[in-house]
Amino acid sequence: MITPSILLLTSCTSENYNSSDFLAGEAFSDSNMRVVLIDTMTVETSTMKFDSIQTSQSSRILVGQYSDPIFGKVKASSYMGLIPNSFSIDSEAEYDSIVLFLKLDNYYYNDTLETNNLHIKRLTKTLRPNEGDALYNTAKASYLDEDLGVLSYQPRPMESDTIAIKISDGLGMELFNGLQEKLITNTDQFKDYFKGIGIIPGDNDNGSVVGFSKDTGASFMRLYYGIPEEDERVQGNIDFELDLSATPVPFFNQILAENPIEQLQMLQDKESILSSSEAANRCFVQSGVGVAARIQFPTVKTIYDIRGQGTILDAVLKIKPEPGSFDDNLILRDTLSVYVVDRNNDLIQQLFYQEVSPVQATLNREKEEFNEIYYEIQLGSYIEQLLLAERETNEALILLPNDYDSTVDRFVLNGMDNSDFRTVLELTYAIYDEDEE
Amino acid sequence: MKMKNRFWILWLPALIAQITFSQSEGLTSSPYSLYGLGTINQTSIGISNGLGHSGIGLKQETGINNLNPANFALAPKNSFFYDIGIKGELNHYDNRGDGESKTTLNFSNLAFAFRITEGLGAGVTMIPYSDVGYSLLGLSSNIEGSNESFESNVYGLGGLSDLSINLGYSLTESLRLGFTGSFLFGNIEETESFVISRSYLELTETNNYSGFRIGFGTHWDIGQNITLGGVLKLPVTLNGNLTRTVAKTLDGEEIVVVDAEADNDVSDFKLPMELGFGISARLKDSFTLTADYRKSFWDATHQSEHIGTYTDQDTYAFGLQYLNNQRAYKYWKRIGYRAGFNYDNGYLALNDQKIDGYTFTAGLGLPIGVFSNSMINLSYGYSSKGYVQNILVREKYHTLTVNLSLEDLWFKKRKIN
Repeated sequence: MITPSILLLTSCTSENYNSSDFLAGEAFSDSNMRVVLIDTMTVETSTMKFDSIQTSQSSRILVGQYSDPIFGKVKASSYMGLIPNSFSIDSEAEYDSIVLFLKLDNYYYNDTLETNNLHIKRLTKTLRPNEGDALYNTAKASYLDEDLGVLSYQPRPMESDTIAIKISDGLGMELFNGLQEKLITNTDQFKDYFKGIGIIPGDNDNGSVVGFSKDTGASFMRLYYGIPEEDERVQGNIDFELDLSATPVPFFNQILAENPIEQLQMLQDKESILSSSEAANRCFVQSGVGVAARIQFPTVKTIYDIRGQGTILDAVLKIKPEPGSFDDNLILRDTLSVYVVDRNNDLIQQLFYQEVSPVQATLNREKEEFNEIYYEIQLGSYIEQLLLAERETNEALILLPNDYDSTVDRFVLNGMDNSDFRTVLELTYAIYDEDEE
Repeated sequence: MKMKNRFWILWLPALIAQITFSQSEGLTSSPYSLYGLGTINQTSIGISNGLGHSGIGLKQETGINNLNPANFALAPKNSFFYDIGIKGELNHYDNRGDGESKTTLNFSNLAFAFRITEGLGAGVTMIPYSDVGYSLLGLSSNIEGSNESFESNVYGLGGLSDLSINLGYSLTESLRLGFTGSFLFGNIEETESFVISRSYLELTETNNYSGFRIGFGTHWDIGQNITLGGVLKLPVTLNGNLTRTVAKTLDGEEIVVVDAEADNDVSDFKLPMELGFGISARLKDSFTLTADYRKSFWDATHQSEHIGTYTDQDTYAFGLQYLNNQRAYKYWKRIGYRAGFNYDNGYLALNDQKIDGYTFTAGLGLPIGVFSNSMINLSYGYSSKGYVQNILVREKYHTLTVNLSLEDLWFKKRKIN
């Protein structure tokens, strides 16, 4: 009779010791652990350049040209195959005009106050990969010299304008007749007849590289015609859109950088490495072209020299853009993505936290007014992986913008021994057992 | 009545399990339990809780006296004693900057005693040996290589149990000898955790202790009313096994860094030799006076904490009971009234400052029934320990104990059906 009640009492003992607020004072007891901040680990910085970047999957049409003090003449042109959304035109219809519409997609790089030129060219060969199933930034397309259309414009990329380029009526009549007279009745016949267009910047342009939307219905070529009725004229049109039916889609951005600084010209193939010590303590990033800053931590395992058993709590890499290398036109992006390359600089994978969220270099602008602006990368789990690795893999991290196949952003970063701000890895290391060797 | 008493036996294994389980919950909340094996439990069995925890020399024929195994020789024929104790504690502790109160409620003991043969009695007791329960918040440490610091929180929990087998033997009518074999076992778990920038780290060190300790006791009656007692507990090294678990978050991922028994064998703990003397005297039939002195030879263990060293501990205990007449007709005359005082000068010296403590106790023994020795023993204690100075903490605590000290009569034929 009493026992059950005692048992109840025990179960009521829900005293929670972890709910104390009592501050006993640090001298009453020490922490059992030591925490050490280490910022003397060697960080090896260099630059590499991929042979080419696959741009047939670019998310946008990139066109424009500008001269960069470091990366040279940066030129982006876009090439695409088009197909009509209809093959029938009323036999009574009369040709009107043909216009190329391009919708700005908010991306731009460098000075948009300068006038850009757009030259529309007629391709003479169907866009097809030489090998594999993709087209690269270095690929070439054949086209007729004669312009199908040309436009000078001042880009206002943030306003999402659609610009219209008048295309030659010669091409318009050709396509109109072909369709109206049923000379072209299906996609294959059309593609055989009309290989596509190229959009290229003016030879002497020095303004901005601008992005246009690739989406169906955003950028397309429209042929207008009219059908005369008794007392009015009925308007009709046919749209020529990017050919999404083909595999691969006949599209690519050609992105080239001519005559960069001498050190970058030394990067002949992807396996050559330009140490930042050979490039005035700098390393470089240029998306679209495939220049990437390369980072290695060759001595990270010396952390085991610290007496006791410990574990990494945090690892932050800080890397600073070179002052003066960026401005309001040559802007810095807030983030860079991090990828892993092997010893031959073959891209292995993008770096993720727990295979889900991408590791990013984030621009820390907190001390911008003191000219202290740097990228921070949280590399705790990557460093831990290096520490746990049994063999030296000689792999490296590279920094590239996330959409490096669809942009021409470029960055100049301070290298490892830069006197202004050396690239530093800050490791927080906790020692939980000091006795253990 | 008899059936009900028998019923108790069925509960015993469950109770033992309960007590062992409750140990992990912690019976105390004392910052000082950070050190050593925790706060050494003073609470005993039966009436001594009301007598300032004295009773080495107490000759108790009507219940269990756990302070001296020689007393087990007195277990009466056909009797079976049980003692089940509950302990509640309200602890208030202060240092120079802060203060906090905590209450705990738990089992404090389980014991039984019986006669084996004429002059030979035995008993089994299960009591907490030590209790650990502390929270230390905001321990600030420097991050080496920087000007920053980190704050960690440390929590301790656990304690050791003492499962003893006692034998008491009457050598002569006035001289009794006792033997105790104690199995000491339990876990003490300390958890430290902190957050640095975006990472969390938690270190849990679980010390699993076990050891077997031998003790002796003796009772010597001088005349009808005076008994002298002596006890000796031999030193023992408790075998400690340290299991360390380190868990952390790194870039948002939870990682168990290590979860293994530590191979460096530094966790053994030595318990000192303990010597105790006591005397009890019956005055004017109704009064019983008890006085004890105990010494624990911690010096010889050569142990220290980072904050201080273990030093010899002296404990003085006094108790007085008034019991009009145990067989009186009026209930109030059968009630035992107790008072006591206990002082110990501490076994841990922090910067040569020993952490001493004292306890005032008061107690009541409420009989159950007329012909049985069964009682409900209540006690209240007020204790103070430590100082509010420098880094130290002073604790003031109120302790309530309830002991069901029951007697079951076996093999006794009922006279009335």
